[in-house]
Amino acid sequence: MSGPVHDPMTLPADDNVDPYTFCVELKSTQWFMQKGKMIAYYGSIDFNGIGHGRLDRLVRTSFHSPLHASDWVVAEGSGKMLLADRAFDVNSYDLEDGNLTIRSGNLLAFQPSLSLKQSIVPGFLTLIGTGKFVAASNGPVVFMEPPIRVDPQALVGWADCPSPCHHYDHGYMTGVMGGLRAMTGLGGASGEEHQFEFVGAGTVLLQSSETLMAEQATGVTPHEPGVPGGGTQGSRGQGAGAPRLPGQLGDLQRRFGL
Amino acid sequence: MGFREINSKMIEVTVAPGQRLFSQRGAMLAYTGEVSFTPNMTGGQGGVMSMIGRRVANEDTPLMTVEGSGTVLFGHGGHHIQVINLAGDTLYVEADRLLAFEGTLEQGTVFLGSQGGVMGMVRGQVSGQGLFTTSLKGHGAVAVMAHGGVIEVPITPQRPVHVDPQAYVAHHGDVRNKLSTALGWRDMVGRGSGEAFQLELSGSGAVYVQASEEKL
Repeated sequence: MSGPVHDPMTLPADDNVDPYTFCVELKSTQWFMQKGKMIAYYGSIDFNGIGHGRLDRLVRTSFHSPLHASDWVVAEGSGKMLLADRAFDVNSYDLEDGNLTIRSGNLLAFQPSLSLKQSIVPGFLTLIGTGKFVAASNGPVVFMEPPIRVDPQALVGWADCPSPCHHYDHGYMTGVMGGLRAMTGLGGASGEEHQFEFVGAGTVLLQSSETLMAEQATGVTPHEPGVPGGGTQGSRGQGAGAPRLPGQLGDLQRRFGL
Repeated sequence: MGFREINSKMIEVTVAPGQRLFSQRGAMLAYTGEVSFTPNMTGGQGGVMSMIGRRVANEDTPLMTVEGSGTVLFGHGGHHIQVINLAGDTLYVEADRLLAFEGTLEQGTVFLGSQGGVMGMVRGQVSGQGLFTTSLKGHGAVAVMAHGGVIEVPITPQRPVHVDPQAYVAHHGDVRNKLSTALGWRDMVGRGSGEAFQLELSGSGAVYVQASEEKL
């Protein structure tokens, strides 16, 4: 075995132990974390579910998605706590009076100095303020500058830039041969017809693979006119990555390599 | 063009007009500029006959042609990626493992039986290559996927290399390979070491080995 054996003194404070484990130091402070992501801790730390009770004030100031609160717990006390998620790469990020929107399943924990809000984009959460948060990704996260078009499954989040829009590439489906292709389904689809397009200034976070993390419900948005996805569950089935284009047979087609 | 490794699981490729690139379908992560991704029905280079050959040989994999001008990021399934630059020699690799390769490379299908007859076929079965494997020849870069990290083991005429068939990823150069067996009575009674079959590569070149015995 390589690597040092850690004890409470040598564990890093608010830093990665290895690429897959993050250590949070609590000094009578609080952290929000997703349920079930703590793997070990030293010291005396309480984990309290968010509900009605003494945490109400904290929840009111830094947690703005009341119906989604059951997926989160507040860790408070003193000690060191290790966070990990199914051997995915884990990293911490510092926000300074900024905003960052992240896929709900990727966010593991955050400091209460940040406030968490649901994004208008379904399935995403936005963090606003100053503080540190911990996020998991499949493979190391790569930061890119707009303008860029990103595969929906590779997107982890974005900071400081306007919301993305959908971009469709199906130029090869035009023209005579393209029409034939679309009519018969022969030739198949490249699987890259649909991207998220980012423009403007900011940073886009990508993960290095197209394997998504399990989606976390972001809670229900109010059912009222003008609210996208209002009243429906924020996380919808993820199976359908790209919209079905004419002449496309879906999974079967890819399997047969047509 | 060239492939640039961003991290162990992601590569960046700059595409310029007039240059073509093949990649596995659905492996694009992001791109800048104007790049088109066209599904490639024939599964690579050559005409319809090449396609039929690949289908028969079960070496066809859904590929797409990448053209245009811009920068493309590739990655797939969280697999580790190894970029191999070829300078005139031939790379042998399973088609499933190909993430992307430059259009300047000549793609072919090789019958393993042609490298050592029946033993070649047995070897293909054991290493999971099947009866056929894909060859890429010429000058250009190839990105190969592997489960776990990849190490490159050089092969010199004096020093043949033995590889676990399940950890074998690809090899290039002037290499002869044969399956060496170390079967004894222990294997027959189910007390074997689990390493009864090994791939012995000799000649001059390099073999790529993944840090896992799991197939893609």
